[in-house]
Amino acid sequence: MGRWQKVVITASMVAFVALLALALSAGGLGFTLPAGRVRDVARWYLFTTFNPDLELFSAMAPEGVTSIVWDYRGLDTLFETAVFFLAIIGSVAIMRDIKTGGGSKPKGSTGLSPIVKTVTRITVGIILAVAASIALHGHLTPGGGFQGGATAAVAPLLILVIFSRYYIERLGVSKNAMLAIRSLGLVGIAVTAFIVLAVTSLQGGVAYVFQNQPKPYAPAGMPYEVGGSLTGGTLLLFNIFEMFAVSAGFTIIFLLLAIPESEVLGVLRGGEDGH
Amino acid sequence: MSRAVRAVGPGLLAFVVYIVFSGSVNTYNIVTGVVVAAVVGFLTANITVSNPGKLGEVGRLGWLIAYAIRYFFIDEVRAHVDVMRRIVHPRMPINPGIVRVPYAVSSDYAMTTIANSITNTPGTVVVDVDTERKVFYVHWIDVKGVEPEVTRGISRVFEFFASRIFD
Repeated sequence: MGRWQKVVITASMVAFVALLALALSAGGLGFTLPAGRVRDVARWYLFTTFNPDLELFSAMAPEGVTSIVWDYRGLDTLFETAVFFLAIIGSVAIMRDIKTGGGSKPKGSTGLSPIVKTVTRITVGIILAVAASIALHGHLTPGGGFQGGATAAVAPLLILVIFSRYYIERLGVSKNAMLAIRSLGLVGIAVTAFIVLAVTSLQGGVAYVFQNQPKPYAPAGMPYEVGGSLTGGTLLLFNIFEMFAVSAGFTIIFLLLAIPESEVLGVLRGGEDGH
Repeated sequence: MSRAVRAVGPGLLAFVVYIVFSGSVNTYNIVTGVVVAAVVGFLTANITVSNPGKLGEVGRLGWLIAYAIRYFFIDEVRAHVDVMRRIVHPRMPINPGIVRVPYAVSSDYAMTTIANSITNTPGTVVVDVDTERKVFYVHWIDVKGVEPEVTRGISRVFEFFASRIFD
């Protein structure tokens, strides 16, 4: 690339940012951000997310985002989780004949240097503890099941890259084990979605699907505190199960991606007359 | 049973990290923290610990605390001052190169402690390790010599403490 080309590209990038800043400061998106009309919705969520004076309309969990994700719009999140699950099932189906485990371990040492390995032995536990904290405090502080699960999935990813895929399979982190955990997580989410409805129906009352706190004409609900500690009712259960489902789902993808291309192509070609 | 014993160390670490990351000590955090620590400790026990008895030896803990104070308040400060002097010096007096630094500890944790101590002090970085020959390859900002007696000066203090903490 010539020197003048670089100058022109740099100048146009600077001009673009400067014009964008000028347009925004001149009111290109309105002078008050966010706009007043949006504020009404936001105000309602903030007003009802945790409001002991208005329990019939409140999610009774101080974290607005998790309340919206798993209570106000819980059904939406259920379908999002289902889409993610289908994506993983799809990749497992594509790779169905390709063995993640087995194979002979390469001779000699594998993976990165012993320094990195030793540090990883310690950080894996730290990562899992932080992930659990993110998920278990999802109803109190920013975070939640998906975030915690994505963090937890870093631990098997590190072992996979820094040791080897033979090592991680030997630890019991196999595709089928992760599929089992992922399915258990999804069953847990489904049970949690119906738990208030199921228990109330057995007692002859009425309740909603995805009900968390008592609502008008549906007075049943999950306790939002246990012994003085806020638990967010169903939110805590959703976050725990989502963490397992998401971390296992990501781990399956990492295991599949760690298979060498030569092995994948060998199976997909299906021998001499496979296609 | 032995796995449960090995899980104590990683479990304690997980509990402390959980409480610190959560940011408060209350009933909820302690109850969930104990559960998380038990699960994480059990999961990581076999990859983290091979000799759980060392955790109970108080002398090792004493050396660890002494090393933490000595490292952060003396060795780190000294190395920082040295590199700062080289940076602001008008002639920038550096003589960089990669040297072999032999070590004589046996456990992986002691070896890693020495390597990370070398890397964490400004002016020296471990670029590779050869566990067969027991040498680090260290990039040194001011190579004073390549003989083992000279290069061992980089790691002498670290090795003294690391062998007493982990070996």
